[in-house]
Amino acid sequence: MQENKKNRYMTVFLLLGICTAVFVILNICIGSVRITLPDMIKIFTGSGDDETLKRILLDIRFPRAAAVLILGGALSLAGYLLQTFFNNPIAGPFVLGISSGAKMVVALIMVFLLGRAIRVTSGAMILGAFIGAMLSMGFVLLLSNRVSSMSMLVVSGVMIGYICSAITELVVTFADDADIVNLHNWSRGSFSGMTWENVKVMAVVVFMTFLAVFLMSKPLDAYRLGDAYARNAGVNLRLLRVCIVIFSSILSACIVAFAGPISFVGIAAPHLVKRLLHTAEPIWMIPSCFLGGSVFCLFCDLLARTMLAPTELSISTVTAIFGAPVVLWVVAKR
Amino acid sequence: MKNYYFSTKKMCVGYDGKPLIKDMEIQLPRGEILTLIGPNGAGKSTVLKSIAGQLRLLGGKVYLEGNNLSEMKAGELAKKMSVVFTEKLRAEMKSCRDVVATGRYPYTGWFGVLSKEDERIVDEVMELTHITDLGGQEFERISDGQRQRVMLARAICQEPEIVVLDEPTSYLDIRYKLEFLSILQEMREKKGLTVIMSLHELELAKIVSDKILCLRGEYAERFGTPEEIFKADFMEQLFGMNESSFPGNPKLLAYIRQMMEWR
Repeated sequence: MQENKKNRYMTVFLLLGICTAVFVILNICIGSVRITLPDMIKIFTGSGDDETLKRILLDIRFPRAAAVLILGGALSLAGYLLQTFFNNPIAGPFVLGISSGAKMVVALIMVFLLGRAIRVTSGAMILGAFIGAMLSMGFVLLLSNRVSSMSMLVVSGVMIGYICSAITELVVTFADDADIVNLHNWSRGSFSGMTWENVKVMAVVVFMTFLAVFLMSKPLDAYRLGDAYARNAGVNLRLLRVCIVIFSSILSACIVAFAGPISFVGIAAPHLVKRLLHTAEPIWMIPSCFLGGSVFCLFCDLLARTMLAPTELSISTVTAIFGAPVVLWVVAKR
Repeated sequence: MKNYYFSTKKMCVGYDGKPLIKDMEIQLPRGEILTLIGPNGAGKSTVLKSIAGQLRLLGGKVYLEGNNLSEMKAGELAKKMSVVFTEKLRAEMKSCRDVVATGRYPYTGWFGVLSKEDERIVDEVMELTHITDLGGQEFERISDGQRQRVMLARAICQEPEIVVLDEPTSYLDIRYKLEFLSILQEMREKKGLTVIMSLHELELAKIVSDKILCLRGEYAERFGTPEEIFKADFMEQLFGMNESSFPGNPKLLAYIRQMMEWR
């Protein structure tokens, strides 16, 4: 029986890996300018001579696909951490207002600095988003002490999200025309305009956080038993809680800083992966959940770019279409 | 203090800084069973949680082999003490065997992977507690009584020297109540397991316990052997019940009389 289980986990893991690879290739090849597979291979091996194709592939499509892969995984992992933390299957960075908090602070920074013609670096964006995420998280934590019911916690989170969004809208309304275009696209969530510079920064931040979370998989497993039994197993609950809050906030912040708030992936992806795996053990869930989020976002971004091309849909529109039914399913199942 | 495996000194327990029971003095040699009895709301659970280090003491100290429990490392304590509480254990998508295996947590490595030896112990304990058949079933889908037995297996799997149980027999039918207690006694005889638990069934408490602690009101009322505790005036003292309780219901009264006589 144990062997069967391991085989299943490995199969799912492999399947997700293959899906990720396939979708990365699809995302690179499909678009307003179609790139064929042989063309792509040529460009990668350096023998391609079409300079336009090369620029499209290397400077636009490839970094974008890489960013979607990294941020999609981060989003899913952040959702999984928050669901574990609150013991609530529909918790996630978007639902709990953490994304919106991050968005608010980033919008404030952007308007303030861009208005003074100061370039905003990736690092500053992440830091701003992290502060915003922690602010929202702080409020949610304060409320979670007072409201014990899981649905009320989500309602509180949604309210915090609305407040932050309202403030963001207010800021955007008073911003200069030039800023608005930038801000508006970003505040609705989009993976467009990713540069290699962005990808490098997010890869480092997300990879480090992923590693830290993966190293926590044993205490996380005990945490899921409930406080009393986790404590009895010798887990330092306070330290673990602080770690979960910080890591999920870093992940959420990183996503918002680069792609804006993206809805539903954080709930839908972990849940679907859990169903596939037939286990909720962190040691398997953490890596699978990351890949699951990547696949989900790669798929959604592909549709966002191509469905109504040349107009690009906001990514949240697509993730909501596929993610929200999953959330409804989770709620109905309880 | 040194002669006892478990002891408390002026232990004061309660919630939110409000003391419920003060100045508790308990001494228990290794391999003895201590049972807490008392009416609802007397603080049995509070005392057990405090003893297990789950609730902060409002005063006094708890000693395990002469070591102050609050100064022990969490990982070290986990190897010596395990618990079965009334608080539900959450086990999303875990089989009963998985739940029992969580008892190995203090012994496994960084990623919590079970060794062959761990697997062997899990199987052995499931055998001992007669739950081998339940192994493959999902923990969330079995009955409360079955769950209780899996929880005991989990606690034993942790290979503790002392186990703390809060009303462990409450969901069990009479057969499993006796089986549960006989397992505890077997563990005590074979491995010198020390047990601290609360029970509502006074007749069982009398048979299985080495020591009884009566809780009622601000101080622990009495502490002693069953013979010392279960005396004629006991029911009236502890539960505020006598022959004039429940007038107009002869059957209930007869039952009470019988219990009093039995004592």
